[in-house]
Formats: sequence, C-alpha cells, structure tokens
Amino acid sequence: MAAAAERVYGASDPKYRNASAPPPRAWIDPDPERGWLRRLMPVLAAHRALILASLAAGLGVAATGAVTPRLIMSAIDVALDKQASAIGFYAWLLGGIALARFLLSMGFRYGMQKASQELEYDLRTSIYAHLASLSFGFYDRAQTGQLVSRANADIRAVQMFLMFAPLMSITLVSFVASLGIMLTINPLLTLVALIPIPGVYWVGLQMRGKLFPMSWLIQARMADVATIVEENVTGVRIVKSFAAEKQQLGLLGRASERLRWITLKQVKIRAFFAPVMENLPRVGRALLLLYGGWLAIEGQLTIGALVAMNMYMIGLQAPFRMIGFLLVMSQRAAASAQRIYAIFDERSDIQERNDAVDLPLEQGRVCFEAVSFGYGDGPNILEGLSLTVEPGETVAVVGRTGSGKSTLARLLPRFYDVRAGRVCIDGVDVRDATLESLRTRIGLVLDEPFLFSESVHDNIAYARPDATREQIIETAALADAHRFIDELPEGYDTVVGERGYTLSGGQRQRIAIARTLLADPKLLILDDATSSVDVRVEQQIHQALARLLEGRTTIVIAHRLSTIALAQRVVLLDAGRIVADGRHEDLLRTVPAYAEVLTRAEESLS
Amino acid sequence: MAWGGGGAWQMGPLGGNQQAGPATGLPFAGIPPEYADAVDALLEDEEEIAVPDLPFEHVETDRQPFTLRSFLLPHWHAFAWAGCLIGLDALALNIGPWLLQLGIDEGVWKKDFASLQWIVLAYFAAIVAHLVIARRRILFTGQLGQRLMNDLRIKLFTHLQRLSLDFYSRERAGRIMTRMTSDIPALEQLIQEGVVNLAMQAATLLVVTGFLITMDLHLTLVVLLGVVPAMCLMTLWFRRESTQRYAAVRERIADLLADLQESLAGVRIVTMHRREKYNVRRHRAVVNDYREANLSAARVAAVYGPGSDLVGSFGQIVVLVVGGWMVLDGTLSVGKVSAFVLYINTFFAPIQQLVQLHSVYQQGQAAAKKLRDVFDRQPSVVEATNALPLPPIEGEIAFDHVSFGYDADRVVLQDLCFRVRPGETFALVGETGAGKSTVAKLLTRFYDPQQGQVSVDGYNLRDVRLDSLRRQLGIVPQEPFLFAGSIRDNLAFARPHASNEEVLAACQALGILEVIEGLPQGIETPCHERGVTLSSGERQLLALVRAFLAQPRALILDEATSNLDLKTESMVEHALDTLLEGRTAILIAHRLSTAMRADRIGVLHAGQLVEVGSHDALLARGGRYAGLFQTWLRHSDSETEA
Repeated sequence: MAAAAERVYGASDPKYRNASAPPPRAWIDPDPERGWLRRLMPVLAAHRALILASLAAGLGVAATGAVTPRLIMSAIDVALDKQASAIGFYAWLLGGIALARFLLSMGFRYGMQKASQELEYDLRTSIYAHLASLSFGFYDRAQTGQLVSRANADIRAVQMFLMFAPLMSITLVSFVASLGIMLTINPLLTLVALIPIPGVYWVGLQMRGKLFPMSWLIQARMADVATIVEENVTGVRIVKSFAAEKQQLGLLGRASERLRWITLKQVKIRAFFAPVMENLPRVGRALLLLYGGWLAIEGQLTIGALVAMNMYMIGLQAPFRMIGFLLVMSQRAAASAQRIYAIFDERSDIQERNDAVDLPLEQGRVCFEAVSFGYGDGPNILEGLSLTVEPGETVAVVGRTGSGKSTLARLLPRFYDVRAGRVCIDGVDVRDATLESLRTRIGLVLDEPFLFSESVHDNIAYARPDATREQIIETAALADAHRFIDELPEGYDTVVGERGYTLSGGQRQRIAIARTLLADPKLLILDDATSSVDVRVEQQIHQALARLLEGRTTIVIAHRLSTIALAQRVVLLDAGRIVADGRHEDLLRTVPAYAEVLTRAEESLS
Repeated sequence: MAWGGGGAWQMGPLGGNQQAGPATGLPFAGIPPEYADAVDALLEDEEEIAVPDLPFEHVETDRQPFTLRSFLLPHWHAFAWAGCLIGLDALALNIGPWLLQLGIDEGVWKKDFASLQWIVLAYFAAIVAHLVIARRRILFTGQLGQRLMNDLRIKLFTHLQRLSLDFYSRERAGRIMTRMTSDIPALEQLIQEGVVNLAMQAATLLVVTGFLITMDLHLTLVVLLGVVPAMCLMTLWFRRESTQRYAAVRERIADLLADLQESLAGVRIVTMHRREKYNVRRHRAVVNDYREANLSAARVAAVYGPGSDLVGSFGQIVVLVVGGWMVLDGTLSVGKVSAFVLYINTFFAPIQQLVQLHSVYQQGQAAAKKLRDVFDRQPSVVEATNALPLPPIEGEIAFDHVSFGYDADRVVLQDLCFRVRPGETFALVGETGAGKSTVAKLLTRFYDPQQGQVSVDGYNLRDVRLDSLRRQLGIVPQEPFLFAGSIRDNLAFARPHASNEEVLAACQALGILEVIEGLPQGIETPCHERGVTLSSGERQLLALVRAFLAQPRALILDEATSNLDLKTESMVEHALDTLLEGRTAILIAHRLSTAMRADRIGVLHAGQLVEVGSHDALLARGGRYAGLFQTWLRHSDSETEA
C-alpha cells in the first residue's frame, strides 16, 4: 500500500502536463426536444466511415451464418444418398465459408468496439468541457459524487448499448436471411415452427414495461449508498469525533437494505419472464419435430432439411433472446443518456455576451451600483448595495457572519450575476466584459483553501502552468510559504492535497495566496484569506501584501483588526447593505454598530 | 472496470447493476415524470425499512484475509442447492437434439408416426419442466447474490469505519468510494453472471457430453480430442494476452475518475484561475489513455471470439465428414449424426462462454483483490481487546513525555508534557505548524503517540474503549464538515434522537437561533454538499451547536472560532462560558484574544511546551508568549493609533 500511495495518479502525473489528445469530433445535438438517439446523431455521424465499414463486415458475418445450415442440409442428404465424394466437396465449401466468416467477424467486432470507444471518448471529453463551463450556481446545487457517477456510469451504459445495437442489427439481418432460406425449404413448416415467435416479442415488451421503473429506482438507491460512503469518507473526523460509527453503519445498512429490496423485485420479474422467453422458441422446435417428422414420413421433406430447419430455429432463438436483452440495455442506455443530456442541457447562468469587450482595467475602479443578489431562489443576501472602490485603494469589508461579505466578493469576478443593479469595473459592467479578461485581472483568495492532489509547484502554478521554478519560489516567498515548502520531504515537488502530504490550514492558505499572487491580478480580493494563520505569520504575509497591494485595488474581507489594518477605508456591511463607510478610527468613534462588531478587539486593547 | 472484449459479447441479460445514478437532491435529476407513477406504485409496496441495529466494534473479531474463496465458501450449501437447480435446468434445456435423434431414428426412419407423437409429447414435458426449474433457479441465485452483496456492503463499511485517520489522509476519497461503487458491483456481477453462468455452462457441457456418449462413443472421442484441445489452447492464449490489458483498463479508468472527481471538487478554484481550457486538454489526454487501453484489450477479444467460432465450425465439419462415412458404412444412424451436428452448437457455446466469462471473473478477482487490500489495512489506532469503557470522567487530561510524528522522519511533538486539571480551560498557542492541532488529534486518539502516553482521569487512552472516550470529548474542528441532510440532522449528529426543542434550545444557547430561523425552511433546511450555501462562519457555528448537543465532559476547540467575525465570536464565547462551566476545555487558538480568556495558556514551539501559565504570569515572564502578545498587540495598536 505504501508503494501505491507513492504512485502518481492520473492527471497529477507530470506526463499529462503537456500531453495532447484530439478534441471530441462532435457534440450531441443541443435540442432537448429530440429523442435520445437522435441527439446522439452528430457524434455517430462523425464516425460514420468506421461504423459503416464495420456494419458491412457484419453483413458478411450474417450472410455466412445464414447459408451454413442450408449447406449442412445438402451434406446430410448427399450422405444419405451414399454419394461419398460429395461429402468432401461440402466439407471444403463449409471450411472456406468458416474461414471467411472468421475474418469478417474479426473486422466487425473490432470495428464496433473502436467506434463505440471513439464515441465514449467524445462523450467523456465533451461532458468534461461542458462541466468546466458551468457556473457556481450549478455546483451549489449539484453533488460532486453524483456528477462523477453520471459522467462515468451513464456514459458507459450508452457506450455498451451502442456497441451491442449493431450486433443485434446484424443478428436481425441474419434472421431475415435465415427466414428466407427456411421459406424456400418448406413455407408451411416454417410458419408452423414460427408460431410462438411473436410471443417472444410480446413477453419482452411486458418485461420491459416492468423493469424500466425498477432500473431507475435501483440506480437511485445505489447512488444513496454511494452518498453515504462519500460523506463518511470526507467527514471521517466528525464521524469519529462523535463516535457515530455505529449510527452511520445503521444508515448504510438501511440504504443497502432498500437497494436489496428493489433489486430482488427485479429478480422476481426476471425469474417470471426469462424462462418464458427462453421456452417459446422451443415450443416451435417441438412443433417442427411433429409436423416436419410427419412430412418426412410422408416423403415430402428430407431428413437433412429437418435438421437444417432445427439449426435455423436454434439460430433464431438467439436473436429473440437478444431482443429481450437489447430492450433491457436500451432502456438502461436511454435512462443514462437522459441523465447525461440533463447535464449537457444545463446552461451556465453566466453567459458571455457576443459583443463582450476585453476589460481594459487601467484604473481599477470598482463600483457596485444598487446591487441586489440572492442565491438560487433564496432571499436577497445583498439589498441595494452600493460601493465604490477607487483605483489602488484597499478597502476592508467588515460585518457579522451572514451579512453578505463573501457574497460581495463572488459577484466581482462574475461567479454569480446580480438580480438588480450592476457591478462595474472602470465603468464597464462585468456582464459586458469577456470572462477571460475579467477573471484574469481579478485574484480571489477564498477562506477555504482547496489544493489539488498535485505537487506544491503545480498547485502554485495553477493559473500559470508554464511558470518557472524561480517565479514559483519568488511568489511563495512573498506569501511566506517558501520556508515551510522547502522543508517538505520533496520540497516543491511534494504532492499535497486530498491524497498527498497533509498540510496545516495555515500552510494551505499560504499556498492558496501564492497561487493567486502568481497570476499577478490587478484587482485582489482576500476573503478572510488569513484566518487560519496565526498572528505572526499573518503579519509576515501582510508585510508582503502591503508591498504587493501598492497600485492594486484590493478588497479584504476581514474579521480581525490586524487584517483591517491593511486597508485605508473600511465599510460595514449589515443585512446586505453598507451601513457605514469611512476610516477605521472615525467609524469606531461615530458608528456604534461598528464599534459593537469590534467590541472584542476593544476589550483586548484596553 | 474492464468491459470491452470478451465479457461484453456474452448473451443473456447483464443482471448486475454496475452504475450508480441519480438520487434525490439534484434539481434536474430524479425519476423522469413519465415513470414517476410506475415508481410510486413500486414504492407503495415497500414497507418502511427501519435503521437496522448493526453491531459495531473497533476490534475485528474474525480476521482472515478476504478472498473470493473465503467470501463464498461459508455459503457452500446454498451454492450446492443452486448447483442442483442448475443441473436440472441444463438437463431440461438440452434434451432437444436427443429427442430429435429419437424422432428421426424411431419415427421418421421407421415411418412410425405414433412413436413420433410420444416423443413430441416428451418434448413438451421437458419444456414445462424447464419453465418451473428455471424460475426457481433465477429466484434462488438472485436472492443468494443479493444477500451476499448486502453482507459485503456492510462488512466493507464497517471496516472503513474502523480504519484510522492516517488511512483517510493518505487515500483519495474517490478511490475509497470506488470500492463500494464499482468493486462490489463487479463482485455482484461475478456471482450473478460469473459463478451462476459458469455453473450453468459447466452443467451444459456435462449433460451434452453425456448425451453424446450414449449415442456414439467413437464420434464423441473424435469431437473431444479433435476440437477441445484447440479450444483450450486458444483460451489459454486469450487468458495470457488479456490479463494485463484488462488490468491496464482498470487502472486508467481509476485515474480518469480521480481526475474527474478532483476537477469537480475543486471547480471553484478551477474557475477562479481560469484553468478550464488547460484542464479540458489534460482530461482529454487522460481519457485518451483510457481509450487506448480499451482498444488494446479489444484487439485480443476480436481475435478470440471469432477464432472460437472457427474452431466450432471445424468441429461441425469433422462430425459431418466422419459421421457421414459412418452412415455410409452403416455404423451410425442418420438421426445420431444430426443430433451430433446440433449438439456441437450447444457444446461449443459453453466453452466460448466459459472463457468469455473469464473477463468477468478477472474483474471479480481484481475487485476482490482491491477489497482485500482495504480489508487488510488495519487501523493504526487499535482498541485493546480487554479495553474497558471509560467511566464518566472528571476531565483531567495528561500528556506524559509524548512524542509523535505523522511520518517516521518528521517529528511533530517532542517529549511533550502537560496536565490539564478538571474543569480548567487550557489554551494552546503557537505558530502555525507548531503541533497544536496534533495535540487535539492525539487526545481524541485519532493517532497514537510513538512514545509516552496520553491519559484522561489517569486512564491511558490505549486502555479504554474508543467510543466511550470520544463520546465524552466534544471536538469542534477547524473545518466544519456538514453532511447532506437537514440542518437538524447535522446538529443532532451525535444524538439523533434529540427532540427539536433540545436542538433549538442549543441553538439559542449559542446565539444562532436567529440565523437558523432566518433560513428558508428553518431547522429543516437541507445542507448541500459540504454546506456550500452556508458561509464558513455559519458552518462553524453549526459545528459548535453540534458539539454542544453531544453534551461532552470535555471540549476541544480546534480553531473553532477562526472564521467567525468578532461580533459573532464574542456571542459564541459568552455562550461558551456557560458551556465550559465545570468542563475541562482545550482551546487551540492563534487568536490571542481567545487564548487570553483561558485559565492557563501553554505555548507550543517545535513540538514542545515551552511556557505554561496564566496570561498575566506569562506576560510578566517576558518569554515567547510575551513576544507573541507584543506582536499581536502592536498590530492592534497601530490600528487604533494610526
């Protein structure tokens, strides 16, 4: 396990740093009104040459399969006629056909596999690109675990189906060809033998009707189980702290039991229908023996023909069984496709205008004009808020928990759009600017520093993957992170994050600050970014920041006096509005509410 | 999960459910409206399933390596019965060509229509018998499989709950999840389609060989010796070639999922740093590797499947030629040659499928191996077998010469000694990385010290039962984690049966009742994943209430108020005063305003306690604490004087 822990996984492998692979050839049809296969058409069309070639090979497979029993019939009949030499002829013929079938079948199978893999590649890469384009509003609602499961299992179900569907189609072609040959042997006998076959289809329909809702429920319940596990993994400290292992085990037990209940229900349906589906064609073979045997006794049918008809019936059994299978798979694929499309159909709330301009940001004046905002359908968090930050100015935003400070920070890089009013930078409404130019110029350090399971170097270079080691070290030093990074087992190459070396909260925050500083933003927002750092380290960071903030417009969201000290001006936020604005000392004297928020600081100073 | 190649070509429904899908909570997910009624109808039949009372012990009682064998062997009698059903099933299913042979030889050849009628009647009887037996078999094996899976899910989860924190900090969440979401389904598939299908095919082989031998021993030997070895050689080739390729497929899919998982978990950072395009390109490269691995496996499968068909066809030709000569000689009836030709189809299909099942088996084996790896992991913090429940504590906490490091070569705490008296509030201060949080982790016994001992009320933590210890300690961590579910469920996490009044009273005590009541659905408001819609300050408040409701005997606040603004923090600290009354508390803080309030303050530096004493005493001493305080004060001073 130690070796496994050291292995570099997936994308954190340096070989992916500059790796390139082609973009998806096509995206799905954007029209949500269309059927699921129809929406997949553009992707299928992109690989039509491969698909058509494989299908052609498949037709060859079907044809060779259909003639074989007919040739065996002749072989048996010539044997009964005591024509020894003719047996050899048929043996060679059958051998040749078997060889051709072998080659065609290889081409067909590999071709279909390749086509379905290409399709999966297109779906996986395009859904990833789409997910990357979605806004925070989407991620606030969605659960990561479910998204992963969708993007993975659902795409796989669709891929499976699309690999099988051609196989089924080819089998159906083979069915029709076989039927034609059977009719030339004896039409009435063929009809008698096929009497029960439509029943197979009908029973399949019944089964499908019952299984479909079940498969939905099964998937939902598997996701429930997965969610419990995920939360217990990510929240393991809480579970252990409160000795809640047994309680959580009970919850999992129930989720598992609920999954078992519906799965067993599905088993019951299968147990009822599957044997019926299997035996209906055998009824046909029994009838074939009865009527065919009578015909043979009467001399109207050769024994070879009786055998060949039997072989055809066995061959026919497969397609009809497969139809049932195909039904199950197609319902699964349809369900999966719908869920994949649901993600594709999500539109980012944040859309760049067609005529969006690059933000000049020469000055860096920030303006909130009568801004109202709330998350999703929730109540307004900000209520007609107005605030102007002059170029190069550093403003501290102070307020009680829940007063909307962090929300303010998230509107500026347009992670959300305002409900009313507007947010402007240098007089340009952020909604009129290109997202690239907007976000390049704004650096936001969040209070909860998330690091990726990559090296420290790659984490700091997150916004500029091509940064040199010297630049990284320089920036890390500015954020007062260089010293501790240097002491890590592998220095800047130490893999950190969820599955790497464990860093303290303060260390992570400093890396997050360095990450933002490396991007050299003209406009900086520190959302309580130094809260997990102790005073001494904070002071060091602040000293570095003070130099950096020169010439940059900065908004600091702060709880601490020490952080407020960075700012020239303080605004006090309450219930989504600015209730006071001015220099710290002035506010302290004139605004009781401000003084109240800072009471604790007052106490400690007296 | 390898699913290219062999396994994917097999027929018969894929009974396993390899995918997790939607669940409640997503605005666009859930059951589509057109199936809502059908699903509701299904749910109406469902009885309310209570939370089962599953036993949980930190100490594993029956430890043995997890293998397919150890997993399946205890159920051998169930498998034996399933085997009987499968044998009968195969017999009833494969009697057809034999009856055809009788029909041709006794009926058609002898022109005896009455015999033919009897034979056809027997055919119908076999059909009815098969209907009955197959139904029993599917039900029985299905139930057996589900029981095994249910047990396994619980066994795995129980084991995960036992593992210590070091496991969770080393292993990626996504990979731990995979054990439950893809390895267990792979095992389920192995049992449903693997073991059952394997037995079915094996039974078919036996039954058919039996029929062949009763008809003609010589021709049977020709078939068995001429074709079976070729088939086996091909199978071995396939096995050798495919093993590594499928392993590669599984590794690549794990990498792919890890990349996806992390991209989504860190999506805010991705957006903020405009890494979308770069990440999209990188993900393409990861998916591309996955595709290449799949195609490599598909190449082998594409040769094997048709190759087996080819061998089967040659078998048929051999039977026709040899059988044809024997008919000419008069040593074999035409009905028997016909039955041989027909049986060859049913005879080879099982051999092919047995090998196609090989990939399912491989996946199952791989899944079992991964599960075994997890089951083999032992908690680094082990409850002693004779551990006693810790009696209600007074709250005396002692660290005696404790040394600890997360890695052998990195010492975090060095010979740390200190004692906290019952009812005392003790603050730990120090620079980032000084080991403050580690103290909290040792006290809750998330880790064991390498040297020295930690004790509570004189009980060495190693000697007491973990749950009795942790129930009495309330810990409020730095990063409050909230579970999906309502605010209520989160607050009452430690006491799920607490009444709403109690929960609300706790909120009131900590002064966040207003915040809670301001939420759209009050206390029933759902927290989304990691409580993203709540601010970090609000989450910390919730974490405080959660600890408060647990009614611990001692409290550890690990930077628990760092994300609160000063106003809220002061509210909380007033509430804490009441909460801490009579309780031992350890406050880990880098905010000295928090630390100052403690009865005594300990200064941690480089893993050692360098100063201990009251705020005033430490100031007077003029040491490291005084230095810290001066820095902090100067900082605040400059504020007011500027």
